[in-house]
Amino acid sequence: MRTPDRLSYAGTALRWHRGRTLLTLLAMGIGVAAVVVLTSLGDGARRYVSGEFASLGSHLLVILPGRNDTAGGPPAMLGVTPRDLTIADTVALLRSPAVKRVTPIVVGEAPVSWRGRERSVPVLGTTGDFVRIRRWQMARGRFLPDGDPERAEPVCVIGAKIRDELFGSSDPIGEWVRAGQYRFRVIGVLAAGGRSIGVDKEDLVMVPVASAQTMFNNPSLFRVLVEARSRESIQEARTDVLAILRERHQGEEDVTVITQDAVLATFDRILRALTYTVAGIAAISLLVAGILIMNVMLISVSQRTGEIGLLKALGAPGRQILQLFLIEALILSLMGAVIGYLIGNAGSWFIRYLYPSVPAYPPLWASVASILTAMGTGLGFGILPARRAARLDPVAALSRR
Amino acid sequence: MIRLQGISRYFQVGDQSVHALDGVSLDIGAGQYVSIMGPSGSGKSTLLHILGLLDRPTSGRYFLNNRDTTDLDERAQAQARLEQIGFVFQFFHLVPRLTAFDNVALPLVLSGTPPEDRNDRVRQRLEVMGLADRIHHRPEQLSGGQRQRVAIARATIMNPAILLADEPTGNLDRASGKDVVDALEALVQQGITLVVVTHDPDIGSRAARRIHMVDGRVAEDSMPGGLPP
Amino acid sequence: MRFIDLIRLSSSSIFSYRVRSTLTALGIAVGIAAVVLLTSIGEGIHRFVLAEFTQFGTNLIAVNPGKTTTQGTPLGILGTVRPLSLEDAEALARVPYATAVVPVMQGNAEVEGGEHTRRTTVLGVGSEFPQAFSYGVGLGRFLPSDDSLSPRAFAVLGSKLYSELFGKRNPLGEKVRVGSEHYRVIGVMESKGQVLGFDLDDTVYIPAVRALELFNRDSLMEIDVVYEADAPPDEVVGGIKRILSARHGKEDYTITTQQQMLDVLGSVLSVLTFAVGALGGISLFVGGVGILTIMTIAVRERTAEIGLLRALGAAQGQVLLLFLSEAVMLSGMGGVAGLLVGAGGAQLLHLLVPALPVKTPWMYVVLAELVALGVGLITGVVPAHRASRLDPVESLRAE
Repeated sequence: MRTPDRLSYAGTALRWHRGRTLLTLLAMGIGVAAVVVLTSLGDGARRYVSGEFASLGSHLLVILPGRNDTAGGPPAMLGVTPRDLTIADTVALLRSPAVKRVTPIVVGEAPVSWRGRERSVPVLGTTGDFVRIRRWQMARGRFLPDGDPERAEPVCVIGAKIRDELFGSSDPIGEWVRAGQYRFRVIGVLAAGGRSIGVDKEDLVMVPVASAQTMFNNPSLFRVLVEARSRESIQEARTDVLAILRERHQGEEDVTVITQDAVLATFDRILRALTYTVAGIAAISLLVAGILIMNVMLISVSQRTGEIGLLKALGAPGRQILQLFLIEALILSLMGAVIGYLIGNAGSWFIRYLYPSVPAYPPLWASVASILTAMGTGLGFGILPARRAARLDPVAALSRR
Repeated sequence: MIRLQGISRYFQVGDQSVHALDGVSLDIGAGQYVSIMGPSGSGKSTLLHILGLLDRPTSGRYFLNNRDTTDLDERAQAQARLEQIGFVFQFFHLVPRLTAFDNVALPLVLSGTPPEDRNDRVRQRLEVMGLADRIHHRPEQLSGGQRQRVAIARATIMNPAILLADEPTGNLDRASGKDVVDALEALVQQGITLVVVTHDPDIGSRAARRIHMVDGRVAEDSMPGGLPP
Repeated sequence: MRFIDLIRLSSSSIFSYRVRSTLTALGIAVGIAAVVLLTSIGEGIHRFVLAEFTQFGTNLIAVNPGKTTTQGTPLGILGTVRPLSLEDAEALARVPYATAVVPVMQGNAEVEGGEHTRRTTVLGVGSEFPQAFSYGVGLGRFLPSDDSLSPRAFAVLGSKLYSELFGKRNPLGEKVRVGSEHYRVIGVMESKGQVLGFDLDDTVYIPAVRALELFNRDSLMEIDVVYEADAPPDEVVGGIKRILSARHGKEDYTITTQQQMLDVLGSVLSVLTFAVGALGGISLFVGGVGILTIMTIAVRERTAEIGLLRALGAAQGQVLLLFLSEAVMLSGMGGVAGLLVGAGGAQLLHLLVPALPVKTPWMYVVLAELVALGVGLITGVVPAHRASRLDPVESLRAE
């Protein structure tokens, strides 16, 4: 029997029982579609996080004061240490040829007021290089001035939400606000754009780092952001940063340096594992669809007993009958998988439509794996019915209606 | 008992209208033994289905026990089939996975008769049919004649007034066929109204009243023995 | 038709098509087993995390400086113009029902002792710390209740820090250096292990005011208030607010009750459990399509039987009911089998991986069973409806 004939023979059988064929395709399709949609969601989340990390700035290192010897434990997140990490330390880091820019960060909370309107808001003290490292945009005015970071200039930059809440529709540029016990002139408004990892840039007041230190009466920095010259120089920058700070801190290594890549790799690993898990759970439905294929094929064999007897009487060997039924199972699973793949892609398109910022594309491995698994289950669960058909006794088969 | 007034039944086949029954009017009295004969396509099966309330006429009226059935709803028709009409088919129509007992008990089950009331009735009915030792056999373990007698037991378990038989011997050898006819005629003796559709003139001529159908009409309606008293 | 007869009649067809029914129920069983197993793991993790949280007791209230929080952390911990002072902590002892008040200052410093140095966490606390967090002292005693503004230079070591510094030697009376200050070791805490990623054992405990000096801060990070177990939390919170607002002139602090944190955590974890349950539900859905397929085939195969039933006087409703109950029985049987496999699998998993907490949530089990029955009902409706609408005359010819 030639292959096209085999295919068309199996095809006629499937078309004849249209209802059950469509339902079986649906079952397999749901399973494959679930795998495709869920992996596209997982992978989309992974790419989204990668993108967010890239938007932090390139070749970034973060210095946290404090270090724990606890193996595998988290770094000292609060960063409170006896010896302060200072603005002078930050400036000293520029000695390293691998370091392009640095910016110190102090974070706290203070009541900010304008003409009797007051709110408690997050206050971030930093320097002019911050926007260049983090690549933030301004909506109006300019960012904090460059120059000596130890100078506490009375200027500030505010987020869009603060502007709305304190100033309403009036122009904030040039106005004086009170933060804690100090007065600052508003020189700029940050461009809106929601959250950027760790900070809500709309609900934020930014002041020169020295001003923030005075305001909070705390000479220590919360973080220092370091931008390396290139991707290759990240490790060199890290070594230099640790060396410079150790030298300035009387030989004691009391900071933790995290590279952007290391954090990214961790997130990447977690989200990949999550994607695999979700794909695995969804793949259970492929097993269920495989069971259904077996069931339908078994019924098909028992209903077509007479036909099988006839084929044998016409001279078809058992092997050929086995192949015919296996081809039917394969067509069912493959077509189901293709339908599911298309539905799944439509689903992930819909996710992208709903959440344009999440690049939810089904990863290639998931599509290939789900289609192969579908075919594998179809074949695996098709073997039993096909063998039953192949082994039917022709006389008995013919005698039954 | 049964009164048909101008019953017609059309089927739409493609864009053609086929007249399976064409203005049949008929009265069948209680306890009559009627055979309906005629060539294939003469409308005798359609007539039987309409008599059994399985099919509705396209036009005309059908009175069963002086009650117009034509506008009974589906539920009421089912109820009438359950209580007043018994069916016997050419191919027996026994449920293959149920035993003789369970097959006979089916109408009682459908009517919601309590199990304790069913047992004796079913056994007794099967004994009358000479199947006392086949009560727990499944259809595949019974001969054709035995199967048809189980079917008759089932058709009569609710004590219906009318028994409709569609080629009851059509699928049986001569000996089994005779047993089945005997069983049916014994029921007539007990007062049931029996309508038999058949090809077989030997069977047909045993009935007191013989209706011959051609092309959806009653061609001949004879009662050789004269009207029963 | 009587209910028992309905069941008998439907089960007779289920049992006469044994292989087919088994496979159909198996589809549902796999789905239910997936849901039960996954929610068991989800619920187990839920309970594990809650247990981690509640080991310090649930009648705990934290007060942090500052009013705003980002991602659950009060920003005032990092820097504030409205400090929380040790005097504030002392004043809070007057809060109704309060049994313990603990000022907390956390930092990171180098600790030297017994010829070793180690960078680790420094917790500046008050003398009521062990009592407040039901955290026992393994050796010696905890910090004494000195004058909180000028306490003696005593330190208590976490069990891991102790063994890292002193090995197995007796540390009591030994000197340790924390940052630039020297302390005398008066106790070692019992081992507590990691709590939500934070190693309490690798920590040195010193008086709070000395931690403030060490880290050059003027605000505590937190004041923890423990109250009597049967006290009304609202009154305790009200008491704290009254005292602190009187001292500060305004509400420039954040109060978080343990119960609030548990509620938030609990709802997050419940969503997680629900999500994995829903993922498993996809398989259940596919199993439902299986029932639909098989019932559709069954109606086709048994057309003659349907015709017969109608001829015998079965109403359409009875035929519908018959096929519907068949579908529901299939899914119900699959549901029970899946429950056994899922719950059994969860227990097996618990035996194989004792670290993985597993708890079969009965709410989800009942839900899964109801869903299984519902799946049978919904997927059974279409074929059953088709069966009931078959024309009896046509059906009788189908043989």
